[in-house]
Amino acid sequence: MKSRNTIIQQQDAARIHEILTHFLNDSGAVEALLIDRGGQLLARDGDAEALDAVSICALAAAAFSSTAAMAQLLGEPEFSVLFHEGAKRSLHVSTVDDESILLAIFDQRTTIGMVRLFAGEASRAVGAVLGEARARPKPPAEFAAPLKDTEARQAWTPPS
Amino acid sequence: MSVINYANRVIDFKIVYYGPGLAGKTANLQYIYRSLPNANRGNMISLATGDDRTIYFDFLPVSALTVRGFQTRFQLYTVPGQVQYNATRRLVLRGADGLVFVADSQFERLRENVESFRNLEANLHEYESTLDEIPYVLQYNKRDLPNQAPVTYLEFVLNRRGARVPYFEASAIEGKGVFDTLNTVSRMALASEFGVGRERRHEVS
Repeated sequence: MKSRNTIIQQQDAARIHEILTHFLNDSGAVEALLIDRGGQLLARDGDAEALDAVSICALAAAAFSSTAAMAQLLGEPEFSVLFHEGAKRSLHVSTVDDESILLAIFDQRTTIGMVRLFAGEASRAVGAVLGEARARPKPPAEFAAPLKDTEARQAWTPPS
Repeated sequence: MSVINYANRVIDFKIVYYGPGLAGKTANLQYIYRSLPNANRGNMISLATGDDRTIYFDFLPVSALTVRGFQTRFQLYTVPGQVQYNATRRLVLRGADGLVFVADSQFERLRENVESFRNLEANLHEYESTLDEIPYVLQYNKRDLPNQAPVTYLEFVLNRRGARVPYFEASAIEGKGVFDTLNTVSRMALASEFGVGRERRHEVS
Protein backbone atom coordinates (compact mmCIF):
# COMPACT_ATOMS: atom_id res chain seq x y z
CA MET A 1 0.00 0.00 0.00
CA LYS A 2 1.38 3.35 -1.01
CA SER A 3 2.09 5.86 1.76
CA ARG A 4 0.86 9.41 1.37
CA ASN A 5 2.22 12.68 2.66
CA THR A 6 0.40 14.14 5.62
CA ILE A 7 -0.21 17.86 5.93
CA ILE A 8 -1.63 18.86 9.28
CA GLN A 9 -3.10 22.35 9.11
CA GLN A 10 -3.79 24.49 12.17
CA GLN A 11 -7.46 23.52 12.26
CA ASP A 12 -6.56 19.80 12.02
CA ALA A 13 -4.09 20.15 14.87
CA ALA A 14 -6.73 21.87 17.02
CA ARG A 15 -9.31 19.14 16.38
CA ILE A 16 -6.77 16.37 17.04
CA HIS A 17 -5.69 18.09 20.24
CA GLU A 18 -9.30 18.26 21.40
CA ILE A 19 -9.87 14.56 20.67
CA LEU A 20 -6.67 13.47 22.42
CA THR A 21 -7.45 15.65 25.45
CA HIS A 22 -10.87 14.02 25.75
CA PHE A 23 -9.28 10.61 25.36
CA LEU A 24 -6.81 11.29 28.18
CA ASN A 25 -9.55 12.63 30.45
CA ASP A 26 -11.90 9.72 29.75
CA SER A 27 -9.35 6.91 29.85
CA GLY A 28 -7.05 8.18 32.60
CA ALA A 29 -3.97 7.62 30.40
CA VAL A 30 -1.07 10.05 30.93
CA GLU A 31 0.15 10.53 27.36
CA ALA A 32 -1.21 10.00 23.88
CA LEU A 33 0.92 9.91 20.73
CA LEU A 34 -0.55 9.86 17.26
CA ILE A 35 2.00 8.18 15.00
CA ASP A 36 2.36 7.71 11.26
CA ARG A 37 3.06 4.02 10.50
CA GLY A 38 6.38 5.03 9.01
CA GLY A 39 7.41 6.14 12.52
CA GLN A 40 6.77 9.91 12.40
CA LEU A 41 5.04 11.75 15.22
CA LEU A 42 1.82 13.41 14.03
CA ALA A 43 0.52 14.82 17.33
CA ARG A 44 0.90 14.35 21.06
CA ASP A 45 -0.89 15.30 24.19
CA GLY A 46 -0.38 14.61 27.88
CA ASP A 47 1.82 15.22 30.89
CA ALA A 48 4.94 13.16 30.12
CA GLU A 49 7.02 16.12 28.92
CA ALA A 50 10.38 14.46 29.47
CA LEU A 51 9.47 11.59 27.17
CA ASP A 52 11.73 10.95 24.16
CA ALA A 53 8.65 10.94 21.93
CA VAL A 54 10.58 10.78 18.64
CA SER A 55 12.32 7.54 19.62
CA ILE A 56 9.15 6.05 21.10
CA CYS A 57 7.35 6.73 17.81
CA ALA A 58 10.03 5.00 15.74
CA LEU A 59 10.05 1.97 18.02
CA ALA A 60 6.28 1.74 18.41
CA ALA A 61 5.68 1.96 14.68
CA ALA A 62 8.27 -0.76 14.13
CA ALA A 63 6.79 -2.99 16.82
CA PHE A 64 3.29 -2.51 15.48
CA SER A 65 4.44 -3.24 11.92
CA SER A 66 6.16 -6.40 13.14
CA THR A 67 3.02 -7.66 14.83
CA ALA A 68 1.02 -6.86 11.69
CA ALA A 69 3.48 -8.93 9.64
CA MET A 70 3.16 -11.79 12.15
CA ALA A 71 -0.63 -11.53 11.95
CA GLN A 72 -0.47 -11.94 8.21
CA LEU A 73 1.62 -15.08 8.64
CA LEU A 74 -1.26 -16.43 10.75
CA GLY A 75 -3.82 -15.45 8.13
CA GLU A 76 -5.07 -12.42 10.06
CA PRO A 77 -5.24 -8.99 8.38
CA GLU A 78 -3.74 -7.35 11.46
CA PHE A 79 -3.60 -7.54 15.25
CA SER A 80 -5.43 -4.33 16.03
CA VAL A 81 -3.94 -3.81 19.50
CA LEU A 82 -0.45 -4.11 20.96
CA PHE A 83 -0.09 -4.01 24.73
CA HIS A 84 3.06 -3.93 26.89
CA GLU A 85 2.63 -4.08 30.64
CA GLY A 86 5.30 -2.55 32.87
CA ALA A 87 5.71 -2.36 36.65
CA LYS A 88 4.79 1.33 36.70
CA ARG A 89 3.84 2.30 33.20
CA SER A 90 2.25 0.41 30.34
CA LEU A 91 1.80 0.98 26.63
CA HIS A 92 -1.28 0.45 24.52
CA VAL A 93 -0.97 0.82 20.75
CA SER A 94 -3.97 0.54 18.47
CA THR A 95 -4.92 1.05 14.85
CA VAL A 96 -6.28 4.41 13.71
CA ASP A 97 -6.32 3.74 9.98
CA ASP A 98 -4.09 2.21 7.28
CA GLU A 99 -1.48 4.92 7.81
CA SER A 100 -1.46 5.74 11.50
CA ILE A 101 -1.63 4.32 15.01
CA LEU A 102 -2.46 5.69 18.46
CA LEU A 103 -0.14 5.02 21.38
CA ALA A 104 -1.28 5.56 24.96
CA ILE A 105 0.97 5.50 28.02
CA PHE A 106 -0.81 4.81 31.29
CA ASP A 107 -0.07 3.89 34.89
CA GLN A 108 -1.83 2.26 37.85
CA ARG A 109 -4.38 5.07 38.08
CA THR A 110 -6.36 3.43 35.27
CA THR A 111 -6.79 0.04 33.60
CA ILE A 112 -6.13 -1.52 30.23
CA GLY A 113 -9.88 -1.92 29.81
CA MET A 114 -10.51 1.80 30.17
CA VAL A 115 -7.71 2.69 27.80
CA ARG A 116 -8.85 0.19 25.24
CA LEU A 117 -12.45 1.34 25.43
CA PHE A 118 -11.71 5.01 24.84
CA ALA A 119 -8.83 4.44 22.42
CA GLY A 120 -11.27 2.93 19.94
CA GLU A 121 -13.50 5.96 20.14
CA ALA A 122 -10.60 8.40 19.85
CA SER A 123 -9.10 6.48 16.94
CA ARG A 124 -12.25 6.74 14.90
CA ALA A 125 -12.50 10.50 15.53
CA VAL A 126 -8.82 11.15 14.78
CA GLY A 127 -8.97 8.91 11.73
CA ALA A 128 -11.75 11.10 10.32
CA VAL A 129 -9.65 14.27 10.78
CA LEU A 130 -6.60 12.68 9.16
CA GLY A 131 -8.73 11.38 6.30
CA GLU A 132 -9.93 14.92 5.58
CA ALA A 133 -6.40 16.30 5.86
CA ARG A 134 -5.01 13.76 3.40
CA ALA A 135 -7.88 14.27 0.97
CA ARG A 136 -7.17 17.97 0.44
CA PRO A 137 -6.03 18.19 -3.17
CA LYS A 138 -3.83 21.26 -3.27
CA PRO A 139 -0.54 21.76 -1.46
CA PRO A 140 -0.42 24.92 0.66
CA ALA A 141 0.97 28.15 -0.77
CA GLU A 142 4.35 27.90 0.99
CA PHE A 143 5.14 24.81 -1.06
CA ALA A 144 3.98 26.00 -4.47
CA ALA A 145 7.25 27.59 -5.62
CA PRO A 146 10.30 25.39 -6.24
CA LEU A 147 13.05 25.48 -3.65
CA LYS A 148 15.79 27.99 -4.47
CA ASP A 149 19.47 27.14 -4.23
CA THR A 150 19.87 29.64 -1.40
CA GLU A 151 17.14 27.88 0.56
CA ALA A 152 18.52 24.41 -0.10
CA ARG A 153 22.01 25.09 1.12
CA GLN A 154 24.12 22.55 2.99
CA ALA A 155 22.26 21.54 6.16
CA TRP A 156 25.15 20.16 8.18
CA THR A 157 28.83 20.98 8.19
CA PRO A 158 31.18 18.05 8.64
CA PRO A 159 33.66 18.37 11.52
CA SER A 160 37.02 19.70 10.37
CA MET B 1 6.17 10.00 3.70
CA SER B 2 6.87 13.49 4.93
CA VAL B 3 4.73 15.08 7.61
CA ILE B 4 4.12 18.82 7.37
CA ASN B 5 2.76 20.19 10.62
CA TYR B 6 1.47 23.75 10.69
CA ALA B 7 0.81 23.68 14.41
CA ASN B 8 4.50 23.55 15.34
CA ARG B 9 5.87 24.61 11.91
CA VAL B 10 7.89 21.45 11.39
CA ILE B 11 8.47 19.17 8.39
CA ASP B 12 9.61 15.63 9.17
CA PHE B 13 11.34 13.41 6.63
CA LYS B 14 12.39 9.79 6.76
CA ILE B 15 15.68 8.83 5.15
CA VAL B 16 16.60 5.14 4.90
CA TYR B 17 20.13 3.80 4.46
CA TYR B 18 19.92 0.59 2.43
CA GLY B 19 22.54 -1.86 1.23
CA PRO B 20 24.12 -5.27 1.77
CA GLY B 21 25.26 -6.54 5.15
CA LEU B 22 28.48 -5.01 6.49
CA ALA B 23 28.50 -2.26 3.85
CA GLY B 24 28.70 0.46 6.52
CA LYS B 25 25.14 1.72 6.96
CA THR B 26 25.38 1.73 10.75
CA ALA B 27 28.85 3.31 10.53
CA ASN B 28 27.31 6.26 8.65
CA LEU B 29 24.80 6.91 11.44
CA GLN B 30 27.38 6.42 14.16
CA TYR B 31 29.64 9.02 12.57
CA ILE B 32 26.76 11.49 12.19
CA TYR B 33 25.79 10.89 15.81
CA ARG B 34 29.35 11.52 17.03
CA SER B 35 29.80 14.60 14.88
CA LEU B 36 26.65 16.62 15.46
CA PRO B 37 26.12 18.72 18.58
CA ASN B 38 23.40 17.56 20.97
CA ALA B 39 21.16 20.42 19.89
CA ASN B 40 21.01 19.02 16.36
CA ARG B 41 20.40 15.38 17.08
CA GLY B 42 18.44 13.06 19.34
CA ASN B 43 19.35 9.71 20.80
CA MET B 44 20.63 6.97 18.52
CA ILE B 45 18.86 3.66 18.88
CA SER B 46 20.41 0.46 17.56
CA LEU B 47 18.46 -2.76 17.53
CA ALA B 48 21.37 -5.12 17.03
CA THR B 49 22.41 -8.69 17.78
CA GLY B 50 25.03 -9.55 20.39
CA ASP B 51 27.77 -9.24 17.77
CA ASP B 52 26.58 -5.77 16.73
CA ARG B 53 24.87 -6.80 13.51
CA THR B 54 21.69 -4.82 12.88
CA ILE B 55 18.68 -7.07 13.48
CA TYR B 56 15.92 -4.53 12.91
CA PHE B 57 17.19 -0.99 12.40
CA ASP B 58 19.30 1.88 13.69
CA PHE B 59 17.53 5.16 14.22
CA LEU B 60 18.88 8.68 14.58
CA PRO B 61 16.75 11.86 14.45
CA VAL B 62 18.58 15.00 13.31
CA SER B 63 17.35 18.54 12.87
CA ALA B 64 18.40 20.85 10.08
CA LEU B 65 17.58 24.15 8.40
CA THR B 66 14.50 26.26 8.72
CA VAL B 67 12.94 26.66 5.27
CA ARG B 68 10.10 29.11 4.61
CA GLY B 69 9.33 29.22 8.30
CA PHE B 70 9.37 25.45 8.79
CA GLN B 71 12.00 23.68 10.85
CA THR B 72 13.16 20.60 8.91
CA ARG B 73 13.90 17.35 10.71
CA PHE B 74 15.23 14.13 9.27
CA GLN B 75 14.81 10.73 10.81
CA LEU B 76 17.64 8.48 9.67
CA TYR B 77 17.12 4.72 9.61
CA THR B 78 19.28 1.83 8.51
CA VAL B 79 17.90 -1.52 7.42
CA PRO B 80 19.40 -4.87 8.42
CA GLY B 81 21.57 -5.86 5.46
CA GLN B 82 21.66 -9.59 6.01
CA VAL B 83 19.64 -11.48 3.41
CA GLN B 84 17.46 -13.35 5.92
CA TYR B 85 16.02 -10.16 7.40
CA ASN B 86 14.03 -9.09 4.37
CA ALA B 87 10.71 -8.88 6.22
CA THR B 88 12.08 -6.31 8.65
CA ARG B 89 13.97 -4.52 5.87
CA ARG B 90 10.69 -4.01 4.05
CA LEU B 91 8.99 -2.66 7.19
CA VAL B 92 11.72 -0.07 7.77
CA LEU B 93 11.40 1.11 4.16
CA ARG B 94 7.79 2.11 4.68
CA GLY B 95 7.20 5.83 4.18
CA ALA B 96 10.78 6.67 3.14
CA ASP B 97 11.22 10.17 1.65
CA GLY B 98 14.82 9.60 0.60
CA LEU B 99 17.23 6.69 0.24
CA VAL B 100 20.96 6.18 0.50
CA PHE B 101 22.18 2.99 -1.09
CA VAL B 102 25.43 2.14 0.69
CA ALA B 103 27.51 -0.15 -1.51
CA ASP B 104 30.61 -2.01 -0.39
CA SER B 105 33.39 -1.08 -2.82
CA GLN B 106 35.32 -4.32 -2.45
CA PHE B 107 35.47 -6.47 -5.59
CA GLU B 108 34.27 -9.58 -3.79
CA ARG B 109 31.12 -7.79 -2.60
CA LEU B 110 29.87 -6.68 -6.03
CA ARG B 111 27.34 -9.49 -6.28
CA GLU B 112 25.89 -8.66 -2.84
CA ASN B 113 25.58 -5.00 -3.86
CA VAL B 114 23.63 -5.91 -6.98
CA GLU B 115 21.39 -8.35 -5.11
CA SER B 116 20.69 -5.77 -2.42
CA PHE B 117 19.86 -3.12 -5.02
CA ARG B 118 17.41 -5.49 -6.73
CA ASN B 119 15.98 -6.32 -3.33
CA LEU B 120 15.43 -2.60 -2.73
CA GLU B 121 13.50 -2.27 -5.97
CA ALA B 122 11.42 -5.36 -5.13
CA ASN B 123 10.60 -4.08 -1.65
CA LEU B 124 9.59 -0.67 -2.99
CA HIS B 125 7.34 -2.48 -5.44
CA GLU B 126 5.55 -4.01 -2.42
CA TYR B 127 4.61 -0.45 -1.44
CA GLU B 128 3.55 0.33 -5.02
CA SER B 129 6.53 2.64 -5.34
CA THR B 130 9.68 2.79 -7.45
CA LEU B 131 13.06 4.50 -7.43
CA ASP B 132 11.64 6.99 -9.94
CA GLU B 133 9.47 8.43 -7.17
CA ILE B 134 11.87 8.57 -4.25
CA PRO B 135 15.05 10.70 -4.25
CA TYR B 136 18.11 8.55 -3.71
CA VAL B 137 21.90 8.67 -3.86
CA LEU B 138 24.62 6.05 -4.03
CA GLN B 139 27.48 5.84 -1.60
CA TYR B 140 30.51 3.75 -2.54
CA ASN B 141 31.84 2.96 0.87
CA LYS B 142 35.06 1.39 2.13
CA ARG B 143 37.26 3.34 -0.27
CA ASP B 144 40.00 2.99 2.35
CA LEU B 145 40.35 -0.76 1.70
CA PRO B 146 42.95 -2.11 -0.77
CA ASN B 147 40.78 -4.42 -2.89
CA GLN B 148 38.30 -1.79 -4.03
CA ALA B 149 36.65 -1.81 -7.43
CA PRO B 150 37.14 1.38 -9.51
CA VAL B 151 34.33 3.90 -9.16
CA THR B 152 33.67 3.75 -12.91
CA TYR B 153 33.00 0.03 -12.56
CA LEU B 154 30.67 0.55 -9.57
CA GLU B 155 28.88 3.24 -11.52
CA PHE B 156 28.49 0.91 -14.48
CA VAL B 157 27.01 -1.78 -12.24
CA LEU B 158 24.83 0.26 -9.87
CA ASN B 159 24.13 3.67 -11.38
CA ARG B 160 22.61 2.64 -14.66
CA ARG B 161 18.93 3.42 -14.39
CA GLY B 162 17.31 5.95 -16.77
CA ALA B 163 18.40 8.94 -14.71
CA ARG B 164 21.85 8.79 -13.13
CA VAL B 165 21.87 9.83 -9.49
CA PRO B 166 24.56 11.51 -7.38
CA TYR B 167 27.20 9.20 -5.97
CA PHE B 168 29.79 9.63 -3.25
CA GLU B 169 33.02 7.88 -2.43
CA ALA B 170 33.18 7.25 1.27
CA SER B 171 35.01 5.72 4.15
CA ALA B 172 32.20 5.91 6.69
CA ILE B 173 34.30 4.61 9.53
CA GLU B 174 36.61 7.64 9.10
CA GLY B 175 33.71 9.95 8.25
CA LYS B 176 34.81 10.59 4.67
CA GLY B 177 31.85 11.26 2.39
CA VAL B 178 29.30 10.78 5.17
CA PHE B 179 28.08 14.38 5.36
CA ASP B 180 28.28 14.91 1.59
CA THR B 181 25.92 11.97 1.25
CA LEU B 182 23.56 13.16 3.99
CA ASN B 183 23.47 16.76 2.81
CA THR B 184 22.68 15.73 -0.75
CA VAL B 185 19.94 13.22 -0.04
CA SER B 186 18.28 15.52 2.50
CA ARG B 187 18.38 18.42 0.02
CA MET B 188 16.82 16.18 -2.65
CA ALA B 189 14.07 15.03 -0.26
CA LEU B 190 13.41 18.61 0.76
CA ALA B 191 13.32 19.89 -2.83
CA SER B 192 10.80 17.22 -3.79
CA GLU B 193 8.31 18.85 -1.40
CA PHE B 194 8.32 22.12 -3.28
CA GLY B 195 7.13 23.29 -6.70
CA VAL B 196 7.29 20.85 -9.58
CA GLY B 197 8.65 18.03 -7.47
CA ARG B 198 5.68 18.24 -5.16
CA GLU B 199 3.16 18.41 -8.00
CA ARG B 200 4.73 15.36 -9.59
CA ARG B 201 4.52 13.48 -6.32
CA HIS B 202 0.84 14.33 -6.05
CA GLU B 203 0.17 13.08 -9.54
CA VAL B 204 1.77 9.71 -8.92
CA SER B 205 0.22 9.12 -5.50
